[in-house]
Amino acid sequence: MPILSVKNLSKTYPKFQLNHVSFTLEKGYIMGFIGRNGAGKTTTLKSMMRLVYPHSGEVIVDGLDFNQNEFECKQKIGFVLGGVDYYPKKKIKTITEVTKRFYKSWDEEAYLGYLKRFELDQDKRIDELSAGMRVKYSLALALSHHAELLILDEPTSGLDPVSRDDLLNLFQELIQNEDKSILFSTHITSDLERCADYITYIKDGNIIYSEDKETFLNRFLEISGKQDQLTPELEKHLVGMRKHRFGFEALIASQQEINLSSYEISKPNLESIMIHLERD
Amino acid sequence: MKNLLYKELKLSIHPTNYLFLALPLMLLIPNYPSYVAYIYMCLSLFFLFLLARENKDVYFSSLLPIQKTDQVKARVVVVMALELLQILISIPFAILHFTIPIINQAGIEPNLAFFGFQFGMFAVFNLFFLTGFYKTAHKIGIPLLIAGIVSILYYILAESLVWISNPFQSFLDSTVLSVILKQWPILLIGITIWVCLGYITYKISANRFLKVDV
Repeated sequence: MPILSVKNLSKTYPKFQLNHVSFTLEKGYIMGFIGRNGAGKTTTLKSMMRLVYPHSGEVIVDGLDFNQNEFECKQKIGFVLGGVDYYPKKKIKTITEVTKRFYKSWDEEAYLGYLKRFELDQDKRIDELSAGMRVKYSLALALSHHAELLILDEPTSGLDPVSRDDLLNLFQELIQNEDKSILFSTHITSDLERCADYITYIKDGNIIYSEDKETFLNRFLEISGKQDQLTPELEKHLVGMRKHRFGFEALIASQQEINLSSYEISKPNLESIMIHLERD
Repeated sequence: MKNLLYKELKLSIHPTNYLFLALPLMLLIPNYPSYVAYIYMCLSLFFLFLLARENKDVYFSSLLPIQKTDQVKARVVVVMALELLQILISIPFAILHFTIPIINQAGIEPNLAFFGFQFGMFAVFNLFFLTGFYKTAHKIGIPLLIAGIVSILYYILAESLVWISNPFQSFLDSTVLSVILKQWPILLIGITIWVCLGYITYKISANRFLKVDV
């Protein structure tokens, strides 16, 4: 049974539409949720958690329908939506004191461990924390109640490289040692190269790909060549082409019939795929 | 619910909300309209919502493992608890008002009928203010304005009953204990309206809030 299944989630705004978003995350894996700013990542996550009221759609968490079992589902989820920015004049310990009461399986020892790991001082007020520290505090709260599924919205943005590295390690530890599952949105693709098992790609409110990372990376080849090599026939097959003084570069589907032996071909990384797909 | 109320006490309620509870002290001011102390309560409730909004309370509460409508329920309970507390705190001051006694030419005496009317006013204020707020969960000025106007109209109507000549005038404005004790049905009706409208207020607010994007 998948830990998370999203089916046909739709939400219409005057200038933006989330269009029948569907994807599934199996237990014990990390899914990267990627897309440009404004593509609908946060709206999707908020709609899943009912912070935003979706017009239609279904969210199933560990076999339970979210709409009918909001309380149980939220107990199973650790949700981080950027850094903590509520009650800025209150101390960390006051906010934790309130928050922990809501979780049946709050683990004080784990919480104190995360505070130590993230170097957070309980006596500090929220507005005394830097942007990165606020994200870390938010993570500490989400990780301390033994959530089975972590839904994290851009957890690594605002963190310094050392903290980011530490966090990605932590994600992998959680997957390996505790059988957790993680869905995290980001536009920092290198984070996903390192730890994601699945990629779900959203563009203008539509999910265009949701599959395992290898399949996604093998979907395309990066192709470049000289200007005179750019035939109209080839151009029809190119994705996100950019012309420059010496020639062109683009993506091309790895499964097609054109003979590519005269071109420079390489395996693209996530960033390169994303840039080309968005250029189209 | 217990946890949400703890959250309200620990994070949302500001100490000035408690300070406003002491304002029935104003019942001891000679020739001063009795209702004024309770208008301040509406202002206190406005501050509660204003501070909660500035502290992103709705967002914080929406992240907690609760039903979305539970946070509306907790807030309605807090609002009504503060109102009830203020009325309970009024009792010794009302008794003092009659035993000193304080001369009051400025309107209704703080007797049982008065408290019945005051419960009715709280009911009307809650209905307009809370349901108005939970339409957006962030716009607070217009709901206050509308609830304020409706409450003032209610007060005008209630005070008219002791100012304009009518068969109930002296009964409603009485300072005589035996007459005051006979006013209990008005108090009971006031409390019933307050409770029933409180429930309706919660239902409408919760339904509206479900559709709000946090």
